[in-house]
Amino acid sequence: MSAHANSQTFNRIVGIHKPDCEMVMRCDPVEETPLPGEAELVAALGSEQTAEYAMACRGIYEDLRRVIGQLAGLMILARVTRKIEFVELEQVDNCTKRWVDAGARIGALKAPGPVARHKQQIEAAHDFCGRVLRTFPQLSSRTDLDATFDEMGEHLKQAYQKLSRASSHEAGLVMVDFSNACCSCGR
Amino acid sequence: MSDYSIWVCEYSYVKDYHKSGVLYGAHNQGYVKLPYCYVVIKGRDHIAMVDVGYNDKEYGKHLGDKFGVENWRSPKTVLGEIGIKPDEVDTCFITHAHFDHFGNVEDFPNAKFYVQEREIAKWVWAMSLPDRMRWMMVAVDPGDIVRGVDLARDKRLITVDGSLENALPGIDLHAAFDSHTYGSMWVTVRNDGKEQSDDTWVLAGDLVYVFENIAGPGGAVDLDEIYTPVGLAVGSQTNLVMATEEMMKQVNYESKRVIPVHEERIKDVFPSRITSEGLRITEICLADGEASKVSG
Repeated sequence: MSAHANSQTFNRIVGIHKPDCEMVMRCDPVEETPLPGEAELVAALGSEQTAEYAMACRGIYEDLRRVIGQLAGLMILARVTRKIEFVELEQVDNCTKRWVDAGARIGALKAPGPVARHKQQIEAAHDFCGRVLRTFPQLSSRTDLDATFDEMGEHLKQAYQKLSRASSHEAGLVMVDFSNACCSCGR
Repeated sequence: MSDYSIWVCEYSYVKDYHKSGVLYGAHNQGYVKLPYCYVVIKGRDHIAMVDVGYNDKEYGKHLGDKFGVENWRSPKTVLGEIGIKPDEVDTCFITHAHFDHFGNVEDFPNAKFYVQEREIAKWVWAMSLPDRMRWMMVAVDPGDIVRGVDLARDKRLITVDGSLENALPGIDLHAAFDSHTYGSMWVTVRNDGKEQSDDTWVLAGDLVYVFENIAGPGGAVDLDEIYTPVGLAVGSQTNLVMATEEMMKQVNYESKRVIPVHEERIKDVFPSRITSEGLRITEICLADGEASKVSG
């Protein structure tokens, strides 16, 4: 099946704007919802060094949160529909790129003593995501898809658990964006 | 003859939620209590839920401290008030993937879960967008999707593409794409089991938060009432209004039969009681032979 045909099912479901849609790409940047500022972080996290670490960590955390969410969604669709074309899409490329970027930033992340263990959790989450991503290209040659999906699912769960352990509301590392959710009362 | 009993069960609440969140355009009109609820549908052969709430252990403290969410209670406690154990639930219809609707699948170990295929696919899509478009990922927990992977493995996740009649006997699912969320759906119970039912209930999920979404103020356009959509929509308010019309059509425009689960005043319309935990049980209807869980 061609790559174009492989994408058809996903595109049918997703519909209106794909990630490469020109309209989407033309959008001007908008101001992000403010997370705790550096001064607040210093107060909350104890030292300037730790606060710097937390600030630097946010983008990595967000990338991993998204990679995990994307991988989980793709795996559900692939498994429920029994169509592995779901995991042969540009969505996987996009996810891989985000994962590679996160890896580079983790490498450059300075983790002073107290937060060294935190960085280990981030590294482990990244590593488990990588294991899932590396399995995708092999799916079409695997004979026992269920066993492969089971293994990928376990790695994904591990990635989520590691990232959950690295979550910190004080540091602005949060798994769910509640800022416009049903509960958000603007406090 | 009624095949199913239906209860709306409150499991937590926010005391002061800005009204503009539940009603489009209601700016500077203060705050309303926003109950968090799920729906239990009990028939002779099945016990089903519409949505499953969230699990407090994940982010309960954060919700309490930062957003004023109070008094969360587990499904074991909440369902116990109507004599049901969570492991007796065999079917869960997930109206959409927000954390407060899809966030507690673990507490229903014997249930199969129905969700729109598009709700999952568009989540993947939204996650792939540039950071500046992060708003489009609001209120979804990747952890819920990760747990969905386990459900898929166990063949307990059923993805639906659009409408599905008789998901359970007399219970239909209807999609409202690109409305409150990308793949929202509502649940229709034809309680006499007939194809053209005279006893239909619509469980609206978050397509309708409060009564005014169906009967909003229409004075500005010289009408008594107009549909006024929910404030929060990643799709569009137009699609919310179109879905409202479809839901109302199904109940022959008897608005009382469209059940908004975030509506506190539902207790003024249907028999209700407050439990010892300070949460509300509202009884929408009773199946033949079922005893009331809110009176006597």
